[in-house]
Amino acid sequence: MSFAKLILFAMILQLAACGGGVTDDLLPSGEDKRPDVEPGSVGTQVGQLSPDFNVQDTLDNSHMLSTELVSADAVVLYFTMWCPICDSHTSHMRSTIIPDFPNVRFFLVDYVSGSISASRAAQLSNGYATSTVFVDTHQTLFNLYNASMGTVVVIDSTGIVQMNEDYKDGVKLRQTLDALP
Amino acid sequence: MKYRRTVALLLGATCLSAPTVWAASCCGGGSATSMIMPKFAKAMIDVSLDAENYNGYWDADGNYREDPPGSDLNQYRLNLGYAYRLASRWQTSVVLPYVWNSNQYAGLSSNTQGLGDMKLNLVYEAFDGIKCVWKVRKPEDLIPAVYYGLSLTVPTGISPYDDVDNSFDITGRGFYRLDANVLLDKTIYPWNVSLLFAYGKYLERSVNREYGNYVEPYSKQLGDRVQATATFGYTYFLEEMDTLTFSLAYSYLQEDAGTIDGRTDPSSMMEKNSIATTVAYSTMDRDWVVKGTWSHSEPDSGWGKNFPVTDIITMGVSYVFR
Repeated sequence: MSFAKLILFAMILQLAACGGGVTDDLLPSGEDKRPDVEPGSVGTQVGQLSPDFNVQDTLDNSHMLSTELVSADAVVLYFTMWCPICDSHTSHMRSTIIPDFPNVRFFLVDYVSGSISASRAAQLSNGYATSTVFVDTHQTLFNLYNASMGTVVVIDSTGIVQMNEDYKDGVKLRQTLDALP
Repeated sequence: MKYRRTVALLLGATCLSAPTVWAASCCGGGSATSMIMPKFAKAMIDVSLDAENYNGYWDADGNYREDPPGSDLNQYRLNLGYAYRLASRWQTSVVLPYVWNSNQYAGLSSNTQGLGDMKLNLVYEAFDGIKCVWKVRKPEDLIPAVYYGLSLTVPTGISPYDDVDNSFDITGRGFYRLDANVLLDKTIYPWNVSLLFAYGKYLERSVNREYGNYVEPYSKQLGDRVQATATFGYTYFLEEMDTLTFSLAYSYLQEDAGTIDGRTDPSSMMEKNSIATTVAYSTMDRDWVVKGTWSHSEPDSGWGKNFPVTDIITMGVSYVFR
């Protein structure tokens, strides 16, 4: 039995080594480690001036950030891959936040479908026919904003990024939109 | 380039993974939901391999939705388990999974691997003698074997809060969880029934990073979790008293909405119903058990909420030290 225990222990150690060892989750940190941002610099972190972009939607219309911002208080991007959490976030956003901010443009960014037709099909099958969905065919926006599944980005009318993080429960998004200049 | 994928798809592995294919009921050789080694055994080694295939998901309203065309999402888990008897009524065990993700999702493709979340178990057996009987001769023969257990899930896997560039790397949820378990197991040969009830509570933690990006720190806690499994089995005796046990199980799992900085996070609740069938072969002395399990979730509305639909095939073998 002791030999068997030894073998098992060795296997566990080996697996731990393969998996990168102890992770940060064992001792979570609450320290704020966000990097400092130089105000006015161009970038996609909060406080930076967002780069402009041009992207097609699922109806093959072209959207340029700077153009959208001319007539809106802000642009909100939500990065979706049509998954359960994405659906939960977008449903919540659609029902509880979007109606309260009529002068803010909300866009879903589909970074997984890879083509306008596939993205349109996913949009319809997931019940978002009335939403405007950007087709991020080459993951340009996804990489530009260093996004992930569920990331929400808020860019105010002056082009400043006001939020760039996970949607979570939507409270941060609402606070951000309420505080728009 | 960073490929981020749905946490929920991976949660299937890390939060819903079936218990390692444990060897036996108190008699040995036995049921699908037993999480423990047989009475009087000194130790047990268990190795199993799960192959989980994803097939769409249920949204928050319970409606079934298909994955995008061309999607092929799979996760494979190698589970290593070791159980050890501490005393005549006490046993402890550890299960460590290693996870491989193999995914083709719409236009994305990824193959990654890593350690999963480890589980430590402590079980108290509320009985001294074998509770399996051949015939009911007196009322006491109907008394089941009762186990009370505590399980601690340790976040040894790779979570969204780790330093990961790629969400395809995720193999764990990132939270400690403490479960209280009760298992009732009764065998009146050749029939077996077992009921498992588990209640789990996640520990709150701080988060200052999401998918490798530092964010404004916040505290997060996943919702309480309830799992109930009922198993019904039949044991067929082969020559020389080797056995084949066939089991059918129904399992219900629910996780409440979690909290973020104390506020309810409505996107985090989930629910899943599944059925499983198991075939287990055991040698006469019940030392070796080889099991195969197919766990199925119905790709139809009403079988779950806010969670992926999956099929899991598990093959496992265990050996009991006397």
